[in-house]
Amino acid sequence: MKINSLLIANRGEIAIRVIQTAKLMGIETWVIKTSKEPNALYLGAADKIIDFSDHSEEIPEFLDIEKIIKAVKSNKIDAIHPGYGFLAESPVFAKRCEEEKIIFIGPSPEAILKMGNKTIAKQLAREHKVPLLEGSLGNVADASEAIKIANKIGYPVILKAASGGGGRGMRIVENEHELEKLFKMASSEAAKAFNDPSMFVEKYVRNPRHIEFQIFGDKHGNMIHLGERECSVQRKHQKLIEESPSAALDPDLREKMGKAAINIAKSVNYYSAGTVEFLLDSDKKFYFMEMNTRIQVEHPVTEKVTGLDLIELQIRVAQGEELPLKQKDVKIEGWAFEFRINAEDVQAGFSPSLGVIEKMSLPKSKNIRIDSGIQEGAVITPYYDSMIAKLIVYGESREKAIQYSAIALKKLWIKGLKTTIPFCKAVLNNSNFKKGIYDTSFLVKEMKIHYFEDKDAEMLAAYFATYDFARTLKEEEGKTVDFEKGKNMNPWILNKRLKSL
Amino acid sequence: MKDTNGKTSKDVLIACGEGKRNFEIVNPLDEIVKIKGKKVDIKIFEDPDGFSYLIYKNHKYQVDILEKNQNKYTIMVNGVWYYFSIETPISFKRRKYLSKSVNSSKIVKITAPMPGKILDILVEENSDVKQGEAVIILEAMKMQNEILAQISGKVKKVNIKTNDSVMKDDILIEIERS
Repeated sequence: MKINSLLIANRGEIAIRVIQTAKLMGIETWVIKTSKEPNALYLGAADKIIDFSDHSEEIPEFLDIEKIIKAVKSNKIDAIHPGYGFLAESPVFAKRCEEEKIIFIGPSPEAILKMGNKTIAKQLAREHKVPLLEGSLGNVADASEAIKIANKIGYPVILKAASGGGGRGMRIVENEHELEKLFKMASSEAAKAFNDPSMFVEKYVRNPRHIEFQIFGDKHGNMIHLGERECSVQRKHQKLIEESPSAALDPDLREKMGKAAINIAKSVNYYSAGTVEFLLDSDKKFYFMEMNTRIQVEHPVTEKVTGLDLIELQIRVAQGEELPLKQKDVKIEGWAFEFRINAEDVQAGFSPSLGVIEKMSLPKSKNIRIDSGIQEGAVITPYYDSMIAKLIVYGESREKAIQYSAIALKKLWIKGLKTTIPFCKAVLNNSNFKKGIYDTSFLVKEMKIHYFEDKDAEMLAAYFATYDFARTLKEEEGKTVDFEKGKNMNPWILNKRLKSL
Repeated sequence: MKDTNGKTSKDVLIACGEGKRNFEIVNPLDEIVKIKGKKVDIKIFEDPDGFSYLIYKNHKYQVDILEKNQNKYTIMVNGVWYYFSIETPISFKRRKYLSKSVNSSKIVKITAPMPGKILDILVEENSDVKQGEAVIILEAMKMQNEILAQISGKVKKVNIKTNDSVMKDDILIEIERS
């Protein structure tokens, strides 16, 4: 069935990203307005807005399944795109859409359910002879069972929430002594975040590379992969920089891993976009980690090197169309990086830096794409994640892409709060990163300082502070009367001066 | 932007950074300033978009006052921030004197690094903590953050309860240095 109207049950840059493609396909776009960000950029991008401003439930707007379904029905909207996060990987939501005859732009509820449960996902991988890490054959009842298994497979082990993702409900345990405390923490985190405290244990591979395959299936049994993305630049399992392809893979390994990814996806009759995550160890052995049943934050790097629009493919597949290309038609050309520009203080352990984006100046070039849900004046709130923008840079080769990225980062200026830009610059300056030799321990092991500092920056900062201080002193003393400066005058001084007239 | 009206004597200010990284700056409002005894030529300008720049040795640096409170400044240069307190030669001397004569306080306050919710308190009053040990789990921006003890000592006061919402810089726990 052709989709004529579409609700994006999401916010920020991904809402805008979906709207862009939907508009090109002649689809009417709808979004949800919340009281948390009534002036957000995505609202202006859509054709129609559903107002949830009066929402007073405990459950956040974008997680309120029945309210969203009701809004879609009453406005006669054909389909829902869930974006990433929120309800994107909720089998209940996908099922409710199915029951209400709303097209859910994503895989089947069964596929989400199976892959969302890491224990089932691992069993499927085992059945399809895809290599994976040893560990508990399912959830563990409590910390003491986890200790038993850990003692058997050897430390370090990793505790993971059965329904987890994005680094939440996940802890690395180095020895028996700290297992119980970390188990408690991870489990309570999982209970809060995913409503499911169940945990499993597996062997932890030290310093692996994080390689994930973008796969795509349709409802006619066709399945292809669109190559890999490397996401090894992470901090506490949060991805910071991604690239496609990966410097660690050669065509042979790519084919092997791609086939494994396709096999796993086929085991649940997968359709739509999906990502199969692997760990790759230093001997180039790979292990299945999990499958994400949604469009990923880092999908643009795949789009850049394949020339495909993944959102368009998702919509076509949801309409029941066959994939327009076969595996042999997939061509990976050039190299792409994605830099996550977050409002975080990289000089203070990446703590969130809340505040207002006073000014933003974005680089422009045919090699650069910026996906952002934020405009000047926007407030970074504690309600949502701290992403300001994704900077995506394409080059004909990895070297070129790095070179263009460095230029783009220099031209990306954000005023008003602290961002991860100096971190991204520091990574690009690292000689091992430049050579493509890095793994998930990169941040901890390779980077002594997590930000790039210009040689004379501290001296210039000292100068600027002193200059401002001296100027303020002088103004307060009233030695100068400068009417031009008055327009930038602080109200306190202005008031004082008016009184003295 | 700079003016040199009535400037006869020299104005000296000292920007004190973290860890005794001090910059003595002579005549900061002049065309040519002296920083740490060296003459340097820095130009300031603002573009119509509202960004401020410094030009130094033919390089352009984006500069911004992130925070300012009397003589305390947080300045960003190309996205990296620096903290300074600006002192006159007299206040600088007093500052030096004070830091020598007063013993560093025995009580260290642990404050919330960001607004959030207290998920768990891992210590109690009068319990001993080691430096680097997690004392509180604070949930903020959908992540659980461990708040660590900066020093070893005894917990003197716990100002919060589980499930409390806290603001940035709220004092959570006070530890007495051992």
